[in-house]
Order: sequence, then structure tokens, then C-alpha cells
Amino acid sequence: MTRWLLRRIAVSVALAWIVATLVFLALHMVPGDPAVLLLSAGDVSPDPAAVAELHQKLGLDRPLLDQYVSFLVRLAHGDLGNSLVDDYPVTREIALRLPRTLELILAAAVLAIVVGIPAGTLAAVYRGTVDRIASVTTAFVLAVPVFVFGTLLILLLAQTLHWMPAGGYAPIDRNPVQHFTLLALPATAIALGLAAVIFRMTRASVLDALSRDFVRTARAKGLSPARVLVHHVLRNALVPVLTVIGLHLGTLLGGTVLIEYVFNWPGLSTPLLRAVEARDYPMVVGIVLTVSSLFLLINLMMDILYAVLDPRVRAS
Amino acid sequence: MKRLWGPAAFVAAIILVALAAPLLHLADPTRQDIAHRLSGSAPGALLGRDEFGRDVLSRLIWGARTSLGVAFASALIAGAIGTALGLIGGWFRGLGELLALRSADIILCFPPILLALLVVTLLGPGASTLILVLSILYAPGFARVAYAETLTARNHDYVEAVRALGAPTGRILLRTLLPNIAGPVLVQLSLAVASAIVLESGLSFLGLGVVPPAPSWGLMIRGARATMEQAPLLLLWPCAALVMTILAMNLLCDALRDALDPRSTTSQPLLRLVDRLLPGIVAPARDATALFEIRGLTLAVKTAGGIVRPVEDVSLSLRQSETLAIVGESGSGKSLTALAAMGLLPPAVSPISGSVWLDGFDLLQLDEPDLRKLRGGTIAMIFQDPMSSLNPVHRSGDQVVEAIRAHQDLSQDAARKEALALFRRVGIADPEQRLAAYPHEMSGGMKQRVMIAMAIANRPALLIADEPTTALDVTVQAQILELLAALKRDTGMAMIFITHSLSVVAEIADRVTVMYAGQVVEDGVVAEVFREPLHPYTRALLAASPEGDDPLVGIPGVVPQPNAFPVGCRFAARCAFAAPACSAAPVPLTQPRPGRSTRCIRWQELPQRREAAA
Repeated sequence: MTRWLLRRIAVSVALAWIVATLVFLALHMVPGDPAVLLLSAGDVSPDPAAVAELHQKLGLDRPLLDQYVSFLVRLAHGDLGNSLVDDYPVTREIALRLPRTLELILAAAVLAIVVGIPAGTLAAVYRGTVDRIASVTTAFVLAVPVFVFGTLLILLLAQTLHWMPAGGYAPIDRNPVQHFTLLALPATAIALGLAAVIFRMTRASVLDALSRDFVRTARAKGLSPARVLVHHVLRNALVPVLTVIGLHLGTLLGGTVLIEYVFNWPGLSTPLLRAVEARDYPMVVGIVLTVSSLFLLINLMMDILYAVLDPRVRAS
Repeated sequence: MKRLWGPAAFVAAIILVALAAPLLHLADPTRQDIAHRLSGSAPGALLGRDEFGRDVLSRLIWGARTSLGVAFASALIAGAIGTALGLIGGWFRGLGELLALRSADIILCFPPILLALLVVTLLGPGASTLILVLSILYAPGFARVAYAETLTARNHDYVEAVRALGAPTGRILLRTLLPNIAGPVLVQLSLAVASAIVLESGLSFLGLGVVPPAPSWGLMIRGARATMEQAPLLLLWPCAALVMTILAMNLLCDALRDALDPRSTTSQPLLRLVDRLLPGIVAPARDATALFEIRGLTLAVKTAGGIVRPVEDVSLSLRQSETLAIVGESGSGKSLTALAAMGLLPPAVSPISGSVWLDGFDLLQLDEPDLRKLRGGTIAMIFQDPMSSLNPVHRSGDQVVEAIRAHQDLSQDAARKEALALFRRVGIADPEQRLAAYPHEMSGGMKQRVMIAMAIANRPALLIADEPTTALDVTVQAQILELLAALKRDTGMAMIFITHSLSVVAEIADRVTVMYAGQVVEDGVVAEVFREPLHPYTRALLAASPEGDDPLVGIPGVVPQPNAFPVGCRFAARCAFAAPACSAAPVPLTQPRPGRSTRCIRWQELPQRREAAA
């Protein structure tokens, strides 16, 4: 178990390193002077003085390997550089925004799990009409891009029915009720697609488990249906669902970018989009690296959880 | 296949409209008409005009062109690069293999939209940036699929054959392998297109995808958001177009996958309630001395081709402490009969007539809670494959404890002691350690011993063993048989032993019931049946397995499928003694002498077994 864990952690660290390297190289892989690239807008060539200054700021005039090493060293110290726009430290901006994004993701994930797993289990166990209705609904839900669903929610619940505010943010310490009211719609919008994915996966996984020999054995022992379902079927069926949730968090993290924009939720999305438009490379890189690392970390945790739940993984 | 046409036609229609956009005499999608901004449906602008007075219908259709163009272009580029990489990786292995496998792992570390935003920062927004990003995102998926498929295909005979003929590698890859891996790659392509449409619209919605004023569905939604109060329809049109297209693409993916993957079979429909409620034929008088008795059991499965009966009119009985063997080839209905007795039939199968008597109750009429008290208590079962019959995520001891506590009011500790005693009883070495072991940490024989411990935990009156040694090594088989014989001797329980090995029957059973194609064909005391078989099938089985554990050989043909059972004698097609009369009408089970029965109309004419063998 310990060796497996160490190896699994080593894989995550290696992937994080590869991600960082790719992000570093991306700037240099584009043909031409990176500084010119970042400073050009349309067909206007940038001011040579500004180009020289950016060279200085990003250390572009040093040898590539030198830049790479110092990039990694700074990363290891948790330094993601400063914004090209206002010289504000990228880490400080992320530290302010990240908790809000995490809160949104967490709320959405919990919502999706609470809806998806029971619905998938019910559909698999009862089949028939319940299953058919749920499966058709899922097919529709999966066809709605997250920003479309968010926008339509605003149109219906905010603009037409005036039940909910159209978006915004209130700090939890100042106005908790308002905070959670404003959280509800964006979290729902993100949760919907994930719930559909979890539903499908749970349904397939439970159906598969139901047909397994060990479930027959459990029934042959004379166990109650509830015990067979929880202790034998779900205990096995939910393990692969975990992995799928982990993998789909990538899409979920992407979805938050769109949803934060739709609902004016001041998470990482706002500085990210601003930075992309302003070609503020350090800020974009910082946010991309943060979110990717977060994603790697979540998947690592999911795998550990998987190993705890399935003894066969630990052995191999 | 039916499911393929609807979505395929819809996708084809969208593509056709998008391609034909220049021929449709639409208004210029970028021409502004501020005077008529946000105007509703009018001649010349069927769906109204947007916030700049541009024709919405025209923008929708031209937008389809942009969205689908970007999606298809990137999916095709990704498909070409990824498939090539996967083919090369799967064929030559080495570096290509590493790239094909690991590139997907690395790309998966980036949430797609973030990778896209990173590239947009460097290259600026626009359709060509989008195509580049999407190609990078989807190529590893194709590589992985093509790699896996190539790896499977390269060992197939037809590939080996072409290779042996000395065809050049390029030719093998393109002409032989590529067509064979095309199915999964096609599925991947439809997945990539669907996902690219979503991502393109998302980025355009953020204003970082397609550059205005070019029309795109994402941009239209972005624009309409600002005016949703005055003109909500403006928002709905592009949303509807986007959702319908993605839905059609998704359905097309699913249908393609189903059509190309023979493994994903559609589930069998459940039997109608009517069939279940149909009263069985009144059972004849029961044998008062029998502990367990099956009377006229018929099982039915409703299939697309009608109702089939994999088990028909099966009767058998068992006295206290007796061992009955049920023998027959695979597909003869032995296991289904046993599962019916346990009330553990798969959902698609249900009993439509007959009865199963134990302790004076008809098990088929008992409701689930009452049946549950018997299951694992009075009547227990061990299954063929101990590898899959134990739950992989629970410790073996816990699984036995669970069985004990399901029927006995014992504390966890007491049940644990009981389980330990049971482990000793079934001959598990190191029982204390094995209680804490997971099934995957044990050998097949050991797992079967755990299964047996579980089955005898509540001292059953009847133990059903469904081919308990088939999945085990020969030496282990003998040990398990010995164990079962010893347990039987000590506890006095009755046993039904399902097997296809006659040598096992001779070793363990008192009486034998021979089944063929869902029917009982012969029944009697083991020694008598072996000495003088009264059915040609029994004779053939005996001839096919002279001594030892030889596999069944020597009977021509196979057991007919339940949907193709012949009208007359079901064995006639494979029978050396068949006469025209055999196939004319159903053959009844007759009792030629006391304690013996056979389903053969010519049993009197059968030569003695010894003579036939000579």
C-alpha cells in the first residue's frame, strides 16, 4: 500500500512537472519573438522600447535553459510572477479568487452526487418506466452546454419569474443568506451536466454489479434486498463511479470559467478572461497551472479513495 | 440499426443546410440595419433581427457553417494525426507507443477550456486558433483508441496472413489494419465533433473564439444575453440550434457505438406480469418421503422471437440425506433449474408452471421475505466459479459472518468464532489469517472452501452444488469433492450436485437425473443407470467419458438453442438410434420399471451398452 501510494504520488508530481514544462515551452513554441507576440494587437507592431522592457521583465534575453530553471525554482517557491498589466503578484490574486471558485465547484459536485447516484441506482434497480424517463432526460441534459443552461436559468428564473437574482456575489461573513442565494443558480447550472454523467455511470455500474455472481451469492445467503444493494451492489458499483467523477472534474473546472462569467461570480474566471484579453501571460499561466494542479490533486485523492475501497487495487 | 437513422438524418440535414448556405439567398449575416434592431418576425427576416439589426435566420445558418466547420475540421485533423500515431505506436511499439499512451494522460491534466485559453492568449482569438487547440485536445483520444485497436488487430489471423505474404508495412497499416479499426475511430470522431461544438460555442460565448462580426451560435448567445429582457427569442434560437445539434451528435455517437460494439447488447425485456401470474398446472400428488421435490417446472424467457422455454416440465425429487446428481451438457437447463429452486432466477427468466416443494412449502409461491429465510438457511447453494462468486471488496471472513448473522441471532464476535470453526471445518490452513484475507489473496480451491463454509454455515437440510469443481485444477477438484462427501456424511444433509462429468457422479451421487435441452431424459439410481442406460443420450455421455476426467467428446453436434428446440425428441438429430417416429411428436417421460424413467420411445430396442462399446 505504501509503495503503491508513493508511486502514485510520484506519478502526480511527474505530471505536474510535465504540465509546467509544457506551459513554459508554449510561449517559446510560437514562432517569432514572444515579447512581440504578447504586445502586438492587430497589425500594429509594438513599440521597441516596450518589447525591450518586457524582455527584461520576463527574462526573455537569457538562455532558454536558464529561464526554464529559474521558472521551476520560482514555481517551487510558490512564486507565479507578477501581472504584466498592473504588476500585481499573480499568487495574491489567485489566493483571493480561488476559494470562491472552489466553493462553487464543491457545491456543484455535492449537488450532482446527491442527485446522480440515487437516480442512477433507482433507474438500474427498477428499470422500466423510471429508467426510460431518466435516461431520456439525461440525453437532453447532456446536450445542453453549461453556459446555455446558465443563461436560460437567468432568463427563466431571474428575468421572467423574478424568483432569483440574475447573478453576483455577497461575502459570506456579511450576508450569508444572500451568499447562498447567489450561489444556488451557478452551482445548479454546473451540477446539472455532472449529475447526468454520474447518473449514467452509476446506472451502468449498478446494472453490471447486479448481474455479478457475488450478488447472486449474497442473495443465496438469504440477505435482505437492502443489505444486498448497499453492502454488495453499491459497495462495488460506486468505486468506478468515483474515478469518473474525478475525470469529469476537468470539464467541471472548465465549466466554472463559463458559469462564473454568466453569473458574475468573482472567482478565477474574471482575472483569467481579463488576462487572456490583455495577453497578460504570467496571470494566464498562473491560473492554468493552479487549476491543473488542483485537478491532479483531486484525481490523486480519488485514486487513493479508490484504493481504500477496492483491495484489489492496492495489491497490484 | 434503427436508432442510427434518426440522428444520422438530422446531422446530415444540418450539414447540408450549412453547406448550402450560399445557395439559399439569405440576407448577408453581417449586414447591419440599426433602424430595425430587435424587430420581430417579418418578411425578409423570418426570425427577426438582432441587436444590430442583422437577420437572425441568416446568422443561424451561417453560424452553423462556422460551428460545424470548426468542429469537423479539428476533429478530422485530430483524427488523422491521432490515428496515425496510434497505428504506428500499436504496430512498431517503442517510442510511438509511449507517445500514443502518455500524450492522452498529459492532455487530460488540462481542463480543456483552460488549455484553449492559454493558446488564445498566445495566438489571439479566431477560427484557426480554435481548430489548432481542438486538434491538440482531441488527437490523444484518437491515438489511444487506434493504439488499443491496432494492438488487438495485429495478432489476428488475417493480419498475420498478409504479413506472411510479405506485404510492405505501409500497405498493411493502410489497407489491412486501418479498415479494421475504422469503427472505434469513427465513434471517437463523432465524440470529438460533438465535444468540439460545445467548446467552440463556449469560447465564442466568452468572446475568445470566433471573432465578430462572423456569425457563430456562441457569439449569438453572447449578443442576445444583453437584450434578453426585450427579446428573449433572440436567445432561444441559437440555444435551440446548439442543443439540437449536440443532442443529434450525441445520439449518433451512442447509436454508432451500439452498432459497432457487439458486446453492448440491449437488455432483455422482462416477462409480462400475466405470464408470471398464470397459475401452474395442478401438481400431481407429491412423494411423501421426499425432502425436496420439483414438479413439472417450466421456465420461460420472453425474447424478441417469442417466448422460449429453456426448462420444460422438469421433475425430480430428493430424500433426506440423499445425493442427487443432475448431469447434462452446457445448455441443458441444469443450472436454471437449480436457480429456480433458490428463487434466484435472472430477471428475464420466470417460472410459468410447476412447483418446487421443500418442507411442505411451494417455494415458487412463497413471497420474497419468506423465501429469504430459507435461502442460505434450510437450502444453500455453492456456485461454479468461486473467483467471481465472492465479493472482491469484502474480507472472506466478513462474508461468512454475514451469512451466519443473516440467519442466526449472534453477536459479531460469536459469529466470528463460528466462522473460524467453519474455516477449520472446510480445511482452510491458517484459518485466523484467512478470515482477514480478501478473495484475490486466495487460490481458487481456497475460495471454493470459503464458499462451502458460507453454504454450510447455517446447517442446511439441502445443499445445491452447481458444478463446484469445474473452474478448479484437477487436483483441487478431488479435494473439494472429498470435502463435500465428508460434510455430507457428517451432517446428513441432502445434496443436489450439478455436473457434466459422469466420473464425479459415480463418485458422489446416489441417484442421477440426466437432462438434455431443458428436459429430463433419464432418471434412476446411479449404479443402475450406469449399468443399463435407458436413453441414447446417457449412453453417449457414458461412451464419451469412459474413465477419469476426460472431457466430453464423441457426441456429434451441439445442444439446440432454446428457441430452436425440435417438436419431437430433442436429441434425435444427434442420436445414433433415431428413427423417423422420434421426430414426429413430443416424447413423454415413461417409467419402464420402478425407480427408472426415460424419455425415449425406443428404449426397449437399444442394444446393451457393453455390446455397443465393443
